[in-house]
Amino acid sequence: MDILNTLIEQMNILAGMLIFVMGLFIVIVNNHIIKRIIGLNIMGAGVFYFFVSIGNLNQAIPPIIIDLPSDVPYVNPVPSALILTGIVVVVSITVYSLSLAIKIYQTYGTLDQAEIIKKNEERWK
Amino acid sequence: MINLWLTSLLSLLVAALFVPFFKTKHKRAMMWFSLVVLTFALVAQILIARYVYLNGSFFYAFGGYQGGIGISFLVDEFSVLIATFIISLTWLIFIYGWANIKSDFEKAETARYVNLIFIMIFSMVSMVYTHDLFNTYVFMEIMSITTVAIISVKQKKENYSAAFRYLMLNEVGSLSFLFGIGMLYMIGGQLNISAVALVVQQGWPLYSWNIGLALGLMILGLAIKSAIYPMHVWLPDAHGSAPSTSSAILSSIVVKVYLVVLIKVIYRIFGFGIVSFLGLNVILTVMAVLGMIIGSLFAMAQKDSKRLLGYSSVSQIGYIVLGISLGTPLGLYAAIFHIISHGILKTSLFLSVGSFISEKKIRKTHEFRGLGVKMPLATAVFTISSLGMIGIPITSGFIAKWQLGLALSEISWWLIGVVLLSSLLNAIYYLPIIIDFYLKPNPENQTILTWDGMPKRMAFILIFLALSGLTMGLFPGLIETFIELAVSAI
Repeated sequence: MDILNTLIEQMNILAGMLIFVMGLFIVIVNNHIIKRIIGLNIMGAGVFYFFVSIGNLNQAIPPIIIDLPSDVPYVNPVPSALILTGIVVVVSITVYSLSLAIKIYQTYGTLDQAEIIKKNEERWK
Repeated sequence: MINLWLTSLLSLLVAALFVPFFKTKHKRAMMWFSLVVLTFALVAQILIARYVYLNGSFFYAFGGYQGGIGISFLVDEFSVLIATFIISLTWLIFIYGWANIKSDFEKAETARYVNLIFIMIFSMVSMVYTHDLFNTYVFMEIMSITTVAIISVKQKKENYSAAFRYLMLNEVGSLSFLFGIGMLYMIGGQLNISAVALVVQQGWPLYSWNIGLALGLMILGLAIKSAIYPMHVWLPDAHGSAPSTSSAILSSIVVKVYLVVLIKVIYRIFGFGIVSFLGLNVILTVMAVLGMIIGSLFAMAQKDSKRLLGYSSVSQIGYIVLGISLGTPLGLYAAIFHIISHGILKTSLFLSVGSFISEKKIRKTHEFRGLGVKMPLATAVFTISSLGMIGIPITSGFIAKWQLGLALSEISWWLIGVVLLSSLLNAIYYLPIIIDFYLKPNPENQTILTWDGMPKRMAFILIFLALSGLTMGLFPGLIETFIELAVSAI
């Protein structure tokens, strides 16, 4: 029962880890470039979810100072603020990798990385 | 003094803003402007290094938020040594690139390239200085975008695919590092490295799962980014297809910055006790040994010279990681010496191959036959540097391997055997190129010595790099004290 209780208490954190691992799996297993970019975004979402949930407490209120009762716990805003930076970074990485995907499709005529590697090998011989 | 140093760091960012506004026909003015800014950064860096050696290390807290609340830079003997190394090497590569830039990509791209270089230097230097974990992550991301962009700036199709692969792996590494930061933040709510180190020491018995996972994720992320052996798959493509100046920067500086962060993570945040308790130092040693051997084996199979140099980097990174994973001051000394020595040697190798490519349009190793009479200077520089890579005495590579051997003799003797075996393998793929240079006839049967035909600036930089490699080998005492101070500062 103890384990089950811990699991339920830590549900958010475990879910964050699970999403992260799912994204990593997608990035590693797939050969298709667009699927890899999607997997990267899922990984990022896992990390962001994890960060937001470590700032949260049970029955906590938003950290707005105006009428904050002193005895109620409030949410730690720092992880959410940090993760805004992370979201911006992942958006820009996604944009850049999509633009690379366009260029790759224009020059190779395919989005499959296995085929791209095969075509590249001819050049290095 | 401190204000001058901060201004020089900011001037790099401001210059990156201004560079794209120069018109294409005003390229010369733009390059002079960039050179002035870089020289300013270099001079300020040397002055701050002098200040630190005279007055001791200090923290600079941005916005005056003391006590780990805000972001602070730690300027000590370790960070100034690495930062001076980064800026001076980039300065040299920039002057070379100015003369060479036309051969690698179109004129219109030059401003964008210089822009990227500026942002990249800024993020590298700041990443070395910063004393805040999340700040490290942010600079890491700036670096991953700029380093990938200086590969894809040469608009060839293999550059696109190499850049994509590099970007994906880089991003996986960054996100694991971020996850590790989250794990550590969960325990103590701290991001300042000193505060996190305290939290880790105090919370180790209670939160060993968190700390172990954080350490694993951080080391995994940095291992991907610094191409430690099983995670090296992106490196040969990226370094092989990039413009020569980019390859030099990527191979000799960028990878090293991540290794410096690895040193910080292992020794400053977690402490070697926790790392060795979890057995991660053994894993790092095994990865380093595999990298030293298998990287060299892969390099022997390469026909393209720049890919060969890329695989050679994989094996040289193995030596550095081996030094880091020992956990002794001697091992760290060897690692830092090897970082600097490999930086200089690999830069001169990539730049001399770059001059072969730009002047004679050849890049396959079998085309290098008899090049010794056609390009005497560049081949001489290549020869000296590759002898340094093998570890022949009087070059800096010998001192680096000697120091590593001294460090290993405290730990175990069979690792010295691995270093010797790897040196032998290095010799197997570097010596045939040197033999091709001087002992084989060239296709045109030219036997009279002719001048290389490259611009004077490029020649000057190549000579300077080869001489500095030799100087480090002949008089290692010149930088010995600086490295010892850096090791004691970690």
